Parts: sequence; structure tokens; C-alpha cells
Amino acid sequence: MFFRMLRGAFFRQKGKMLMIAFTIMLGASLATAMLNVMFDVGDKVNQELKAYGANITVKPKNSSIIEEMYDIDESDVKSAHLKEDELGNIKTIFWAFNIVDYTPFIDTRVRIGEDEAKLVGTWFNHHMELATGETLDTGIANLRTWWDLTEGNWLDEQKQGSENEAMVGKLLAEKENLRIGSTITVSTDNGSRQLRVIGIYDAGGDEDDYIYTTLPAAQQLADCSGLISSIEVSALTTPDNELSRKAAKNGPESLSVTDYETWYCTAYVSSICYQIQEVITNSVAAPVRQVAESEGAIMDKTQLLMILITIFSLIGSALGISNLVTASVMERSNEIGLMKAIGAKDSSVLGVVLTEIMLTAVVGGVAGYFAGYGFAQIIGQSVFGSEIEMKLMVVPIVAVLITAVTLAGSLPAIRMLLRLRPAEVLHGR
Amino acid sequence: MKKQNMFFRMITASLLRRRSRMIVTLLAIMVGATILSGLVTIYYDVPRQMGEQFRSYGANMIFLPSGDSAGITAADTKKAVNVINEKNIVGTAPYKYETVLINERPVIAAATNMSGAKATSPYWYVNGAWPEKNGQILVGKDIAETYGVSVGDEMKLAYAEEDEGVSNENNNAPQNKNELAFTVTGVLDTGGSEENYIFISLEDMASLTEKNTSYDMVELSVSASQDELNDYANKINNSVGSLSARLVKRVTQSETTVLTKLQSLVLIVTIVVLLLTMICVATTMTAVVTERRKEIGLRKALGASNKSIIGGFMGEGMMLGGIGGLLGSVLGYFFAELVSRNVFNSSITFQPLLIPLTLVASVAVTAIACLLPVRSAADVDPALVLKGE
Repeated sequence: MFFRMLRGAFFRQKGKMLMIAFTIMLGASLATAMLNVMFDVGDKVNQELKAYGANITVKPKNSSIIEEMYDIDESDVKSAHLKEDELGNIKTIFWAFNIVDYTPFIDTRVRIGEDEAKLVGTWFNHHMELATGETLDTGIANLRTWWDLTEGNWLDEQKQGSENEAMVGKLLAEKENLRIGSTITVSTDNGSRQLRVIGIYDAGGDEDDYIYTTLPAAQQLADCSGLISSIEVSALTTPDNELSRKAAKNGPESLSVTDYETWYCTAYVSSICYQIQEVITNSVAAPVRQVAESEGAIMDKTQLLMILITIFSLIGSALGISNLVTASVMERSNEIGLMKAIGAKDSSVLGVVLTEIMLTAVVGGVAGYFAGYGFAQIIGQSVFGSEIEMKLMVVPIVAVLITAVTLAGSLPAIRMLLRLRPAEVLHGR
Repeated sequence: MKKQNMFFRMITASLLRRRSRMIVTLLAIMVGATILSGLVTIYYDVPRQMGEQFRSYGANMIFLPSGDSAGITAADTKKAVNVINEKNIVGTAPYKYETVLINERPVIAAATNMSGAKATSPYWYVNGAWPEKNGQILVGKDIAETYGVSVGDEMKLAYAEEDEGVSNENNNAPQNKNELAFTVTGVLDTGGSEENYIFISLEDMASLTEKNTSYDMVELSVSASQDELNDYANKINNSVGSLSARLVKRVTQSETTVLTKLQSLVLIVTIVVLLLTMICVATTMTAVVTERRKEIGLRKALGASNKSIIGGFMGEGMMLGGIGGLLGSVLGYFFAELVSRNVFNSSITFQPLLIPLTLVASVAVTAIACLLPVRSAADVDPALVLKGE
């Protein structure tokens, strides 16, 4: 009898049930989409903030400031370098997965005819085969997104003969009257090289006076084969909190064992720095505060903004659903009156109506989850150009939400109807 | 005249008699309107509010002496700063760099206005305290390590007039050497080149060098978009000849990229949420109209034309839409204000244009939502409906 009544309700009131299912589907899809976007927005914004460049710089431990600023002890320079062959190690640290880009630099002063200029050797689009079997393409093309190429192209390291090519800053190009294709002869005490200009960039800063070329070319000019002077690392990090500040201030040794483990296994910028120091000999890795600090602030704000928007739209869709459910239960006063008149107990009326509504909610909720998946992907693709990761955690949240909202919408209405007297209802009052 | 009276009486009566149902409908419309006006307000305010957050990346505009002028005077700086809308300026910090000697070794000292530097470079981490008065200095971390100084120590800075640049250490045969003692109040940690400098106040620099200092550079942190900044820079370059304003591309360019993404995120979210709430309102309206088929049948049986029935229902729906929209636009403002207070700790800009917009949108949505079911309901045969089939 119970099932026959249910079946009857679904077939006789197909339109109405479909409408409830549809509303619940909309609410569920909204909840799914918003929750997924909310959980993923931190990672996505973090990726976007990589536009600001590296957030960690690695330098040799004993690079005294005086040497760095005035280049006095040329003969002694080698002691203050990092080893090129250790670069791959950065991708072996605990948080290797969070290292998005990194590139080494070696710089030296060169003479161009009468003038002096700074020449920097680096990676442009370096291809790496890692010990883990992964590959990584990295270089300053990713770390200097704000450079405008006024002429020419980025240097392509994979090309034959690229070690005789260079990119030149705008101001230097004006001064030396350089164009694409012109050749500059740069010389140091260790020899000279002819470099062909293939790109002129506008960096809006000091770099407009520099020459950028490949690592081997710069190493030969600086007489530092196999050595580099600094590394810039761009890593996805977790915003700093109490623990990471404590670790940064007093050193990780000051933490208790459990704190140390938490700290080491969280992607704080300080713990990533610490891990880089472990794998690069004689190095000091320090966060670039300008980038690291601001990233944290902006990510926190964006996440909070999304959380609040999500909460409000969830409240909105919850109200919408429970509204409709209430409306649809209320209009069945006739039916409920009749059921009571022929002797149905309150509990059995409640059972039938609730089961009906809940079945509809389940159908709507499942359909809504998949529709929400679609919405989340539309948001991800159109805003960030990448897929939004679907979190499994969203499924139970949406399920609980839909159940609660449907119950909250139908229970008060049913209780009100149960209080009605059948005679009155059937009489049409 | 009489006909109109009847029309209004019917609408108000039906709204009043079916109070609970009408409240439910009104609630649905109101929620939709709240979300519409709230999210649109947030969407418009996000660039401004987030832009302020982005100022933690530090200066986005610098003034440099143009061409042949040796430095920037305080008067010119003031003139240039006046070009920019005062409300948007987060901080201004002039800098004057001189080489000073600590134990006969050259170190770069940057003279600045400490409160300005604090505002333009919020990411500076000072171990200790910022200097508050003259005679106090901030020391870069690298310098502090090299010279073994810590907070509270005293440091002697000497200034020797040199004609040549700073790059030659052997050239330390100064004629008139001026030495002053300073207290270190803080050690500066930035992860950048600032760690190699000593920061002193402009007045101290003047008394140390015994020269009236002009600035080498002025850093500005302005809360504005890249286009606005370009406008400001052009205006300044045209009106103040002795300095040239330049954008810090790394900061402005990246800010534009990230902000555009964030705004389009809020836009898309707004559109999705809006679409869904509109459909929700529409389904509620449909449900309300459908259950009144009996009433429609009765009115038809009494001789009402389809037109007057549709008109009556639409009038009712639009009235609800209007009230809901009005309430919603007010609630939406509070919703946006609440979000803004919680996220950005500042209040939201009120958009007066949004009230009529929300009103029109909610009236339109309810009208469309009514129209479809009413039209099909008006076509029914009164006899069938009244009989209960």
C-alpha cells in the first residue's frame, strides 16, 4: 500500500515532482560548483600570483655584501658560488611538487668596446629530465612575465648555436645602438665572445641595462664553469602563521619535535627554504618578502571572499528549495485530509509525504551534483584556463545540505497540515 | 475608473487573503534580489578593495630625476604628488642614497621618511622597532650580520666628501670627515637588496653630510589601475619638468593580471548564482500560479476574459516582484557590506544605480515567471477545472 501510494504520487503528479526535483537540482548544482571553486581558489590564485616572480632566492653562504656590491676580490669570487650540478636536487625535496619554476643565474661585468655592462647567464626555457622520471621546463621566460619584448623573441635554449645568442635590455640597446640581428662583442679578462642579439626587452627596472645570455656562455666569460651565483625559486606556499613565524625567528631547532614535524611537512616558505638549504651545499635560501608576504595576504583575502560568497549563495539556494517544498506540501491539504478521514495515522501520513519528497530530493541532488561539476569547470576554464579539481569532500557536504534543507522545508508544513481537522479541509475551508 | 478600482481590489485582496503563501513567494523574490544586488556590488568593489591588498607588494610608481637634473627637490615632489588623487595615495617615501663609512668601510645609507617607507613597503619585516626620532637608524640584516650589531647598539657613521663614485675602496683619504653616533632600533629583513643598506632619517642625513639634501628617488604606492597610473605618470611628466614618473612594471603588470582574473571570477560566480536564483524564483512563481487554476476557472465561468485574467495575475506578480526587489536591494547592500567588513575591514561603496536595476530585474523575472503558467492556465475550460479534473 505504502509503495503503491508512492508510485501513485510520482505518476499522477509528474509535473509537480519534476519541478521540485529541478529546483533541488539547481540548488545542489550551485552548492557543488561554489564549494568546489571555493576549495580550489587558493591553489588557483597562488598560481596566478606566480606572475610576481620568484618568492625564494638562494645565494651562496659566504657571499659577503661588499664583494657583491663592489666586485672587489675578483680572484676570490669562486669560493662564493653554488654548484650547477646540484640544481636538480631542488626537485627532490619534500615539497618538490610545490616548486613551480626555478632558474640559476651567474653574472659578470663585461666590456662592450669602451663601455661596461652587466651580463647575466641563465636558463630561458631549460628542459630537465629529473631522476624521478618527470620532466620540467623552466627558466626566466616563466619568472619574468612582466617583461615586454619590444623587438624579437625570447631566446630558445633548445636551438643549436643558442650559446652565441643574447637578449638585451631596452636602455642598453638604445645606448649601444643595437637591433635584432646585430652582433655585440663582449669581453672580460677571461676571453671574449660574439653574441647575436635576438630579443630586446623592456623590464621597467634595473634589468633594462643588462645582457642576458645562456648559462654556458656566461660561465665561460666569468671563468666559472659549473658554478652559479644565485638561484631564483618560485614555489607554491601556505600563508605564514604563528608556527612558521616562530620557526623563522628562532630557527627550526627551537621547535618541539611535533611542532618541527608539522612545520617541516607544511609548505611554509620558511620550511621550503630550509629544505632547499639541505640539498644545495653552502647555500642560504631566503624568502623574497615582497612576494612571499603579499601572496599570503592576497590568498587569505580571496579565500575568505569566496567562502562568504559561497555561504550566502548556499543560504539563498537553501531558502529557495525549502520555499518550494513548503509550497508543494501545503497545497496537498486536501489529500492529507482525505487520508486522515479514512483513518491514516499521523506517522503514516508523515512517512508517505516525507519519503516522496526525499526521493525527489535524492534524484535532484544527484543530477545537481553533476550539473555543478559542469558549472565549476566552466568557471575554471573561463577564469583560470585550467580545470577545477573536484574535491570528494564536497559530496557529503552537498548531501547533508540537501537533506537538511528539504527536511527543514517540509517538516513545518506537514506538522501544520496534520493539525488541521479533516472535515474542515475536505469541506474546502 | 471603476474597472481599475476593481482590478486593484482584486490584487490586494488576493495578496492579503493568501497571506502565508504570498510571504513565501515574496521571500523567494527577495532572496533572489538580495543575491543580485549584493554580488553586483561586490563585483564592482572588488578591484578597489583587492587593489588595496595588492599595495602590500610595495611601490608601484617611482619618481626619478629627469635628464640633467641632479636630484628631486621637495617642492617638485609635492607638486607631482598633488597631481594624484590624494585619496588613492597609500604612501610616499623619498630616498636619498649616500655612501657612508663604518670602520672605514663603505656602506650605502638610504635616507628616507620612516613613516613613508613603512607605508610604501609594508612587507619589510623589522626585528625590533621602527625608528621614531632622529638619531635612530634601521640596519639591513646583512649589514647587521657583517658588523655584528643588534638592536639597541650604537653605531658610528662617518661621511667623507668624495668627488669620485663609491666603487673604490682605496680612495679613502677624506678631507673633511664628519662622524655621528646612532642608535640601532631595528634590523630590517626583506629578502632583497635593502638588507645591504642602512636607513636613516632625512634630517640625520642632512646633518651628517652637511648638505641640503635633494632626493635621488621617490617611491609611491598608489591604489589605482595600470591605466590610471599611466595617466598620472603622463600628467606628472608634462607638468613637472624636473622629474620623470615611471611605473614599476613588475608590480603594476602583475597586479593587472591577477586582478583581472579575480574580477572575472567574481563575475562568473555572480552570473551562475544569479541564473540559478532566477530559475528558483521562476519555479516558485510557477508553483503558485498553477495551484490557482480553480480560481482562474471560476473567474472565467463568471465571464472574465483571458486578457483580464492574465492582467490580474501579472499585476499581482509584478507587485510582489517590486516589493521583493526593493527589500532585496536594501538587504543586498547589507550583505555586501557584511562581506566587505569581514574580508577587507572596510566598508563598501554604495551603488545607487543598483536599486532601480534590481527592481527592474526582479519585476521582469517575476513577470516572465508568471506569464507562462498563467497563459496556459487561462486557456483551460472552466467547467473541467471547477469539476476538479
